[in-house]
Amino acid sequence: MDLVVDIADFQVSADPRADLVTYSLGSCVGVSIWDPEAKVGGMIHYMLPESAISPEKAKLNPAMFGDTGIPALFRAAYQLGAIKKRLIVKVAGGSSLLDDNGTFNIGKRNYILLRKIFWKNGILIDSEDVGGAVSRTMRLCIGSGRVSIKSRNREVEL
Amino acid sequence: MTRMDEILDRVAAIQPLPDTVMKLMNVINDPKSTIEDIIEVIRYDQAVTTQMLRICNSAYFAVSREIDSLNDAIRMLGTMKILQLVMAVHSNSLLANRQSGYGLEPGILWKHSVGVAITATWFAEKIHYANANLAFTAGLLHDVGKTILNEYVGKDFAEIVRRVNEDNLSFCEAEHAVLGFSHEEIGAKVAEKWQVPEHITRCIRHHHDPRPLTPPDPLVDAVYLANCVCLLLGIGLGADGLSYRADHEIMERYGLRESDLEIAGTQMMLELKRVMQMYAAPGQPQEPMLVTG
Repeated sequence: MDLVVDIADFQVSADPRADLVTYSLGSCVGVSIWDPEAKVGGMIHYMLPESAISPEKAKLNPAMFGDTGIPALFRAAYQLGAIKKRLIVKVAGGSSLLDDNGTFNIGKRNYILLRKIFWKNGILIDSEDVGGAVSRTMRLCIGSGRVSIKSRNREVEL
Repeated sequence: MTRMDEILDRVAAIQPLPDTVMKLMNVINDPKSTIEDIIEVIRYDQAVTTQMLRICNSAYFAVSREIDSLNDAIRMLGTMKILQLVMAVHSNSLLANRQSGYGLEPGILWKHSVGVAITATWFAEKIHYANANLAFTAGLLHDVGKTILNEYVGKDFAEIVRRVNEDNLSFCEAEHAVLGFSHEEIGAKVAEKWQVPEHITRCIRHHHDPRPLTPPDPLVDAVYLANCVCLLLGIGLGADGLSYRADHEIMERYGLRESDLEIAGTQMMLELKRVMQMYAAPGQPQEPMLVTG
Protein backbone atom coordinates (compact mmCIF):
# COMPACT_ATOMS: atom_id res chain seq x y z
CA MET A 1 0.00 0.00 0.00
CA ASP A 2 1.43 3.36 -1.04
CA LEU A 3 1.17 6.34 1.29
CA VAL A 4 1.96 9.36 -0.85
CA VAL A 5 4.00 12.10 0.76
CA ASP A 6 2.92 15.25 -1.01
CA ILE A 7 5.18 18.23 -1.58
CA ALA A 8 5.40 20.29 1.63
CA ASP A 9 4.22 17.30 3.64
CA PHE A 10 5.55 14.50 5.81
CA GLN A 11 4.23 11.12 6.89
CA VAL A 12 5.23 8.48 9.41
CA SER A 13 4.06 4.91 9.61
CA ALA A 14 4.53 1.71 11.61
CA ASP A 15 2.58 -0.43 9.14
CA PRO A 16 4.97 -3.06 7.71
CA ARG A 17 2.83 -3.34 4.56
CA ALA A 18 3.11 0.37 3.79
CA ASP A 19 5.43 2.14 1.37
CA LEU A 20 6.03 5.86 1.82
CA VAL A 21 6.56 7.42 -1.58
CA THR A 22 7.19 10.94 -2.79
CA TYR A 23 7.23 12.05 -6.42
CA SER A 24 8.85 14.83 -8.39
CA LEU A 25 11.69 15.88 -6.12
CA GLY A 26 13.39 18.72 -7.99
CA SER A 27 15.25 21.22 -5.87
CA CYS A 28 13.12 20.05 -2.96
CA VAL A 29 14.67 17.55 -0.58
CA GLY A 30 13.27 14.21 0.52
CA VAL A 31 14.46 12.67 3.77
CA SER A 32 13.58 9.14 4.78
CA ILE A 33 14.16 7.85 8.31
CA TRP A 34 13.71 4.26 9.51
CA ASP A 35 14.16 2.48 12.78
CA PRO A 36 14.99 -1.19 12.10
CA GLU A 37 13.97 -2.38 15.56
CA ALA A 38 10.72 -0.49 15.99
CA LYS A 39 9.99 -0.91 12.25
CA VAL A 40 8.89 2.69 12.16
CA GLY A 41 9.63 4.97 9.24
CA GLY A 42 8.96 8.46 8.03
CA MET A 43 9.50 10.69 5.04
CA ILE A 44 9.37 14.42 4.35
CA HIS A 45 9.34 16.36 1.07
CA TYR A 46 10.23 19.94 1.95
CA MET A 47 10.34 22.80 -0.54
CA LEU A 48 12.51 25.53 0.89
CA PRO A 49 15.23 25.84 3.51
CA GLU A 50 14.13 28.48 5.95
CA SER A 51 10.75 29.40 7.37
CA ALA A 52 11.92 32.97 8.05
CA ILE A 53 10.58 34.06 4.64
CA SER A 54 7.05 33.25 5.76
CA PRO A 55 6.58 32.29 9.43
CA GLU A 56 2.78 32.30 9.13
CA LYS A 57 2.90 29.72 6.31
CA ALA A 58 5.34 27.64 8.34
CA LYS A 59 2.85 27.59 11.20
CA LEU A 60 0.18 26.06 8.98
CA ASN A 61 2.53 23.94 6.84
CA PRO A 62 5.68 23.14 8.85
CA ALA A 63 6.78 20.62 6.20
CA MET A 64 7.06 23.38 3.62
CA PHE A 65 10.42 24.37 5.14
CA GLY A 66 13.40 22.30 6.20
CA ASP A 67 14.02 24.09 9.48
CA THR A 68 10.48 23.50 10.74
CA GLY A 69 9.69 20.27 8.86
CA ILE A 70 12.69 18.10 9.70
CA PRO A 71 12.27 18.40 13.50
CA ALA A 72 8.54 17.74 13.06
CA LEU A 73 9.26 14.56 11.08
CA PHE A 74 11.64 13.21 13.74
CA ARG A 75 9.22 14.06 16.56
CA ALA A 76 6.38 12.25 14.80
CA ALA A 77 8.57 9.15 14.35
CA TYR A 78 9.58 9.20 18.04
CA GLN A 79 5.90 9.21 18.93
CA LEU A 80 5.49 5.93 17.06
CA GLY A 81 8.36 4.42 19.04
CA ALA A 82 11.40 5.25 16.90
CA ILE A 83 14.64 6.03 18.73
CA LYS A 84 17.07 8.61 17.37
CA LYS A 85 20.28 6.60 17.62
CA ARG A 86 18.79 3.68 15.71
CA LEU A 87 17.47 5.76 12.81
CA ILE A 88 18.82 5.13 9.35
CA VAL A 89 18.65 8.41 7.43
CA LYS A 90 18.65 8.69 3.64
CA VAL A 91 18.42 11.82 1.54
CA ALA A 92 17.43 12.59 -2.08
CA GLY A 93 16.75 15.66 -4.21
CA GLY A 94 18.33 19.10 -4.15
CA SER A 95 18.53 19.34 -7.95
CA SER A 96 19.23 22.54 -9.88
CA LEU A 97 18.49 24.02 -13.25
CA LEU A 98 21.49 24.20 -15.61
CA ASP A 99 22.75 27.36 -14.01
CA ASP A 100 26.31 28.62 -14.41
CA ASN A 101 25.77 31.55 -12.10
CA GLY A 102 24.08 29.73 -9.26
CA THR A 103 21.28 32.27 -9.09
CA PHE A 104 18.55 29.71 -8.75
CA ASN A 105 20.21 27.63 -6.07
CA ILE A 106 17.27 26.62 -3.92
CA GLY A 107 18.37 22.99 -4.23
CA LYS A 108 21.84 23.59 -2.88
CA ARG A 109 20.52 25.73 -0.03
CA ASN A 110 17.96 23.09 0.86
CA TYR A 111 20.76 20.55 1.17
CA ILE A 112 23.11 22.80 3.16
CA LEU A 113 20.33 23.53 5.65
CA LEU A 114 19.81 19.81 6.13
CA ARG A 115 23.50 19.18 6.79
CA LYS A 116 23.52 22.01 9.31
CA ILE A 117 20.54 20.65 11.24
CA PHE A 118 21.93 17.10 11.19
CA TRP A 119 25.38 18.25 12.29
CA LYS A 120 23.95 20.18 15.24
CA ASN A 121 21.91 17.19 16.30
CA GLY A 122 24.51 14.50 15.74
CA ILE A 123 22.61 12.74 12.96
CA LEU A 124 24.53 10.92 10.24
CA ILE A 125 23.32 10.46 6.68
CA ASP A 126 23.54 6.79 5.74
CA SER A 127 23.33 7.37 1.99
CA GLU A 128 22.16 10.03 -0.40
CA ASP A 129 21.42 10.84 -4.02
CA VAL A 130 21.48 14.61 -4.42
CA GLY A 131 22.18 17.33 -6.99
CA GLY A 132 22.19 17.25 -10.77
CA ALA A 133 19.29 18.39 -12.91
CA VAL A 134 17.03 15.38 -12.51
CA SER A 135 13.63 14.74 -11.01
CA ARG A 136 13.51 11.92 -8.46
CA THR A 137 10.94 9.65 -6.88
CA MET A 138 11.83 8.32 -3.41
CA ARG A 139 10.27 5.20 -1.89
CA LEU A 140 10.68 3.73 1.60
CA CYS A 141 9.35 0.29 2.41
CA ILE A 142 8.38 0.34 6.11
CA GLY A 143 8.64 -3.46 6.44
CA SER A 144 12.18 -3.80 5.11
CA GLY A 145 13.61 -0.29 5.37
CA ARG A 146 14.57 -0.51 1.72
CA VAL A 147 14.83 2.89 0.02
CA SER A 148 14.82 3.25 -3.73
CA ILE A 149 15.27 6.24 -5.99
CA LYS A 150 13.77 6.44 -9.44
CA SER A 151 14.99 9.04 -11.87
CA ARG A 152 14.93 9.12 -15.67
CA ASN A 153 13.21 5.74 -15.71
CA ARG A 154 16.01 4.04 -13.79
CA GLU A 155 15.43 2.73 -10.29
CA VAL A 156 18.31 2.19 -7.88
CA GLU A 157 18.53 1.19 -4.27
CA LEU A 158 19.89 3.83 -1.92
CA MET B 1 8.66 18.85 -46.30
CA THR B 2 10.38 19.17 -42.93
CA ARG B 3 9.51 17.11 -39.93
CA MET B 4 7.93 20.14 -38.27
CA ASP B 5 5.73 20.85 -41.31
CA GLU B 6 4.63 17.24 -41.35
CA ILE B 7 3.58 17.41 -37.74
CA LEU B 8 1.89 20.78 -38.22
CA ASP B 9 -0.12 19.32 -41.09
CA ARG B 10 -1.34 16.53 -38.90
CA VAL B 11 -2.05 18.91 -36.03
CA ALA B 12 -4.46 20.77 -38.29
CA ALA B 13 -6.66 17.71 -38.00
CA ILE B 14 -6.74 17.70 -34.21
CA GLN B 15 -9.18 19.76 -32.22
CA PRO B 16 -8.14 23.42 -32.10
CA LEU B 17 -8.63 25.59 -29.04
CA PRO B 18 -12.30 25.76 -28.12
CA ASP B 19 -14.23 28.77 -29.31
CA THR B 20 -14.73 30.13 -25.78
CA VAL B 21 -11.01 30.16 -25.15
CA MET B 22 -10.30 32.00 -28.39
CA LYS B 23 -12.96 34.62 -27.72
CA LEU B 24 -11.94 34.99 -24.12
CA MET B 25 -8.28 35.48 -24.98
CA ASN B 26 -9.25 38.37 -27.20
CA VAL B 27 -11.36 39.86 -24.43
CA ILE B 28 -8.51 39.51 -21.94
CA ASN B 29 -6.11 41.00 -24.43
CA ASP B 30 -8.17 44.17 -24.63
CA PRO B 31 -7.63 46.41 -21.59
CA LYS B 32 -11.01 48.10 -22.22
CA SER B 33 -12.97 44.91 -21.63
CA THR B 34 -15.54 44.81 -18.83
CA ILE B 35 -17.08 42.03 -16.77
CA GLU B 36 -20.10 42.20 -19.05
CA ASP B 37 -17.91 41.37 -22.03
CA ILE B 38 -16.65 38.34 -20.20
CA ILE B 39 -20.15 37.19 -19.28
CA GLU B 40 -21.15 37.56 -22.89
CA VAL B 41 -18.39 35.16 -23.90
CA ILE B 42 -18.96 32.44 -21.33
CA ARG B 43 -22.74 32.42 -20.90
CA TYR B 44 -23.14 30.28 -24.00
CA ASP B 45 -20.57 27.77 -22.91
CA GLN B 46 -22.31 24.95 -21.13
CA ALA B 47 -19.19 23.22 -19.86
CA VAL B 48 -17.85 26.36 -18.25
CA THR B 49 -21.17 27.38 -16.74
CA THR B 50 -21.72 23.94 -15.25
CA GLN B 51 -18.24 23.80 -13.84
CA MET B 52 -18.47 27.30 -12.42
CA LEU B 53 -21.69 26.59 -10.55
CA ARG B 54 -20.31 23.29 -9.30
CA ILE B 55 -17.25 25.01 -7.91
CA CYS B 56 -19.18 27.88 -6.34
CA ASN B 57 -21.31 25.35 -4.50
CA SER B 58 -18.37 23.18 -3.47
CA ALA B 59 -16.97 22.93 0.01
CA TYR B 60 -14.11 25.17 -1.06
CA PHE B 61 -16.32 28.25 -0.87
CA ALA B 62 -18.62 27.03 1.89
CA VAL B 63 -21.54 29.27 0.92
CA SER B 64 -24.73 29.09 2.91
CA ARG B 65 -27.12 29.30 -0.02
CA GLU B 66 -27.11 27.66 -3.38
CA ILE B 67 -25.52 29.66 -6.18
CA ASP B 68 -27.59 29.00 -9.27
CA SER B 69 -26.95 31.79 -11.72
CA LEU B 70 -23.93 32.76 -13.69
CA ASN B 71 -24.24 36.35 -12.52
CA ASP B 72 -24.10 35.30 -8.87
CA ALA B 73 -21.19 33.02 -9.59
CA ILE B 74 -19.28 35.74 -11.34
CA ARG B 75 -19.89 38.22 -8.55
CA MET B 76 -18.71 35.68 -6.05
CA LEU B 77 -15.59 34.52 -7.82
CA GLY B 78 -14.42 37.81 -9.31
CA THR B 79 -13.10 38.35 -12.81
CA MET B 80 -9.70 36.89 -12.21
CA LYS B 81 -11.03 33.58 -10.92
CA ILE B 82 -13.49 33.35 -13.80
CA LEU B 83 -10.76 33.71 -16.35
CA GLN B 84 -8.70 31.13 -14.57
CA LEU B 85 -11.62 28.78 -14.45
CA VAL B 86 -12.53 29.06 -18.10
CA MET B 87 -8.95 28.57 -19.15
CA ALA B 88 -8.59 25.64 -16.79
CA VAL B 89 -11.80 23.94 -17.94
CA HIS B 90 -10.79 24.04 -21.55
CA SER B 91 -7.06 23.65 -21.30
CA ASN B 92 -7.47 20.50 -19.28
CA SER B 93 -8.89 18.62 -22.23
CA LEU B 94 -6.06 20.02 -24.31
CA LEU B 95 -3.26 19.31 -21.87
CA ALA B 96 -4.50 16.09 -20.31
CA ASN B 97 -2.48 13.84 -22.53
CA ARG B 98 -3.56 10.26 -22.84
CA GLN B 99 -0.25 8.75 -23.88
CA SER B 100 2.95 9.08 -21.98
CA GLY B 101 5.26 8.83 -24.97
CA TYR B 102 6.98 12.11 -24.21
CA GLY B 103 7.86 11.19 -20.67
CA LEU B 104 4.75 12.81 -19.29
CA GLU B 105 2.37 10.99 -17.00
CA PRO B 106 -1.30 11.78 -17.67
CA GLY B 107 -2.39 14.93 -15.88
CA ILE B 108 1.17 16.04 -15.12
CA LEU B 109 1.37 18.63 -17.85
CA TRP B 110 -1.91 20.17 -16.79
CA LYS B 111 -0.71 20.46 -13.20
CA HIS B 112 2.56 22.04 -14.36
CA SER B 113 0.67 24.45 -16.61
CA VAL B 114 -1.71 25.56 -13.85
CA GLY B 115 1.29 26.03 -11.53
CA VAL B 116 3.06 28.19 -14.12
CA ALA B 117 -0.16 30.13 -14.77
CA ILE B 118 -0.56 30.96 -11.07
CA THR B 119 3.11 31.87 -10.64
CA ALA B 120 3.25 33.92 -13.84
CA THR B 121 0.33 35.97 -12.56
CA TRP B 122 2.24 36.54 -9.31
CA PHE B 123 5.36 37.69 -11.18
CA ALA B 124 3.34 39.89 -13.56
CA GLU B 125 1.85 41.68 -10.55
CA LYS B 126 5.22 41.85 -8.83
CA ILE B 127 6.86 43.56 -11.81
CA HIS B 128 3.80 45.79 -12.33
CA TYR B 129 2.87 44.37 -15.69
CA ALA B 130 -0.36 46.06 -16.74
CA ASN B 131 -2.40 42.99 -17.67
CA ALA B 132 -1.77 40.22 -15.17
CA ASN B 133 -4.73 38.18 -16.48
CA LEU B 134 -2.82 37.64 -19.67
CA ALA B 135 0.01 36.06 -17.69
CA PHE B 136 -2.35 33.38 -16.43
CA THR B 137 -3.38 32.40 -19.93
CA ALA B 138 0.18 32.54 -21.24
CA GLY B 139 1.32 30.36 -18.35
CA LEU B 140 -1.40 27.85 -19.00
CA LEU B 141 -0.51 27.51 -22.67
CA HIS B 142 3.28 27.82 -22.56
CA ASP B 143 3.96 24.09 -22.95
CA VAL B 144 1.32 23.35 -25.55
CA GLY B 145 4.14 22.18 -27.83
CA LYS B 146 4.80 19.28 -25.49
CA THR B 147 1.25 18.04 -25.94
CA ILE B 148 1.81 18.01 -29.66
CA LEU B 149 5.16 16.26 -29.42
CA ASN B 150 3.71 13.80 -26.95
CA GLU B 151 1.24 12.74 -29.62
CA TYR B 152 3.54 12.72 -32.60
CA VAL B 153 7.16 12.10 -31.68
CA GLY B 154 6.92 10.02 -28.55
CA LYS B 155 9.38 7.48 -29.92
CA ASP B 156 12.19 10.06 -30.19
CA PHE B 157 11.91 10.87 -26.54
CA ALA B 158 14.40 8.26 -25.35
CA GLU B 159 17.03 9.62 -27.74
CA ILE B 160 16.41 13.20 -26.55
CA VAL B 161 16.86 12.14 -22.94
CA ARG B 162 20.02 10.25 -23.89
CA ARG B 163 21.50 13.39 -25.46
CA VAL B 164 20.65 15.38 -22.33
CA ASN B 165 22.39 12.82 -20.13
CA GLU B 166 25.41 12.03 -22.24
CA ASP B 167 26.11 15.24 -24.12
CA ASN B 168 25.25 17.63 -21.31
CA LEU B 169 22.67 19.46 -23.41
CA SER B 170 19.65 21.30 -22.13
CA PHE B 171 16.37 19.65 -23.03
CA CYS B 172 15.62 22.23 -25.74
CA GLU B 173 19.09 21.81 -27.23
CA ALA B 174 18.60 18.06 -27.30
CA GLU B 175 15.19 18.47 -28.97
CA HIS B 176 16.89 20.57 -31.62
CA ALA B 177 19.62 18.00 -32.11
CA VAL B 178 17.19 15.11 -32.49
CA LEU B 179 14.06 16.65 -34.04
CA GLY B 180 15.44 19.82 -35.61
CA PHE B 181 13.13 22.01 -33.51
CA SER B 182 12.05 22.40 -29.89
CA HIS B 183 8.69 22.14 -28.12
CA GLU B 184 8.75 25.93 -27.85
CA GLU B 185 8.92 26.40 -31.62
CA ILE B 186 6.29 23.88 -32.54
CA GLY B 187 4.04 25.17 -29.75
CA ALA B 188 4.31 28.70 -31.11
CA LYS B 189 3.60 27.54 -34.67
CA VAL B 190 0.51 25.69 -33.55
CA ALA B 191 -0.61 28.71 -31.52
CA GLU B 192 -0.22 30.88 -34.62
CA LYS B 193 -2.31 28.44 -36.56
CA TRP B 194 -4.99 28.67 -33.88
CA GLN B 195 -4.74 32.47 -34.04
CA VAL B 196 -3.80 32.79 -30.39
CA PRO B 197 -3.00 36.47 -29.64
CA GLU B 198 0.59 37.36 -30.43
CA HIS B 199 1.50 38.29 -26.84
CA ILE B 200 0.80 34.75 -25.77
CA THR B 201 2.41 33.10 -28.76
CA ARG B 202 5.59 34.99 -27.94
CA CYS B 203 5.56 33.51 -24.43
CA ILE B 204 5.16 30.02 -25.87
CA ARG B 205 8.10 30.60 -28.22
CA HIS B 206 10.52 32.06 -25.66
CA HIS B 207 9.56 30.58 -22.32
CA HIS B 208 12.97 28.94 -21.89
CA ASP B 209 15.06 31.80 -23.21
CA PRO B 210 13.63 35.32 -23.21
CA ARG B 211 17.03 36.93 -23.88
CA PRO B 212 16.83 37.30 -27.67
CA LEU B 213 13.85 39.63 -27.30
CA THR B 214 14.70 43.30 -27.66
CA PRO B 215 13.22 45.23 -26.06
CA PRO B 216 12.55 42.75 -23.27
CA ASP B 217 8.96 41.54 -22.98
CA PRO B 218 7.85 41.53 -19.32
CA LEU B 219 5.08 39.03 -20.05
CA VAL B 220 7.59 36.53 -21.46
CA ASP B 221 9.88 37.20 -18.51
CA ALA B 222 7.04 36.51 -16.06
CA VAL B 223 6.28 33.19 -17.75
CA TYR B 224 9.99 32.34 -17.87
CA LEU B 225 10.48 32.98 -14.14
CA ALA B 226 7.26 31.16 -13.28
CA ASN B 227 8.43 28.15 -15.26
CA CYS B 228 11.78 28.18 -13.42
CA VAL B 229 10.02 28.23 -10.05
CA CYS B 230 7.70 25.37 -11.00
CA LEU B 231 10.56 23.26 -12.39
CA LEU B 232 12.63 23.87 -9.26
CA LEU B 233 9.77 22.93 -6.99
CA GLY B 234 9.01 19.86 -9.05
CA ILE B 235 5.53 20.92 -10.13
CA GLY B 236 4.65 18.46 -12.83
CA LEU B 237 8.15 17.44 -13.81
CA GLY B 238 8.47 14.98 -16.67
CA ALA B 239 11.46 12.85 -17.53
CA ASP B 240 13.09 16.06 -18.80
CA GLY B 241 13.58 16.98 -15.14
CA LEU B 242 15.31 20.30 -14.60
CA SER B 243 17.48 20.18 -17.71
CA TYR B 244 16.83 23.77 -18.72
CA ARG B 245 19.14 26.74 -18.64
CA ALA B 246 18.70 29.33 -15.92
CA ASP B 247 19.45 32.96 -16.62
CA HIS B 248 20.15 35.41 -13.83
CA GLU B 249 19.84 38.42 -16.15
CA ILE B 250 16.06 38.17 -16.12
CA MET B 251 16.02 38.41 -12.32
CA GLU B 252 18.34 41.39 -12.34
CA ARG B 253 16.21 43.16 -14.91
CA TYR B 254 13.52 43.63 -12.25
CA GLY B 255 15.71 43.70 -9.15
CA LEU B 256 14.30 40.34 -8.06
CA ARG B 257 16.09 38.22 -5.49
CA GLU B 258 16.06 34.55 -4.70
CA SER B 259 13.72 35.23 -1.80
CA ASP B 260 11.18 36.50 -4.34
CA LEU B 261 11.34 33.14 -6.10
CA GLU B 262 10.77 31.43 -2.78
CA ILE B 263 7.80 33.58 -1.87
CA ALA B 264 6.32 33.06 -5.34
CA GLY B 265 6.79 29.33 -4.80
CA THR B 266 5.02 29.20 -1.46
CA GLN B 267 2.09 31.26 -2.78
CA MET B 268 1.80 29.09 -5.84
CA MET B 269 1.91 25.89 -3.82
CA LEU B 270 -0.98 26.89 -1.58
CA GLU B 271 -3.06 28.14 -4.51
CA LEU B 272 -2.27 25.06 -6.60
CA LYS B 273 -3.32 22.75 -3.77
CA ARG B 274 -6.64 24.59 -3.61
CA VAL B 275 -7.13 24.30 -7.37
CA MET B 276 -6.24 20.61 -7.37
CA GLN B 277 -8.69 19.98 -4.52
CA MET B 278 -11.36 21.88 -6.40
CA TYR B 279 -10.93 19.66 -9.43
CA ALA B 280 -10.29 16.37 -7.67
CA ALA B 281 -12.91 13.85 -8.67
CA PRO B 282 -14.35 11.82 -5.78
CA GLY B 283 -12.23 8.76 -5.10
CA GLN B 284 -9.26 10.10 -7.02
CA PRO B 285 -7.50 12.40 -4.58
CA GLN B 286 -4.03 11.78 -6.02
CA GLU B 287 -4.71 12.30 -9.69
CA PRO B 288 -6.65 15.49 -10.14
CA MET B 289 -8.64 15.30 -13.33
CA LEU B 290 -11.24 17.76 -14.36
CA VAL B 291 -14.79 16.72 -15.08
CA THR B 292 -15.66 18.71 -18.15
CA GLY B 293 -19.42 19.09 -18.44
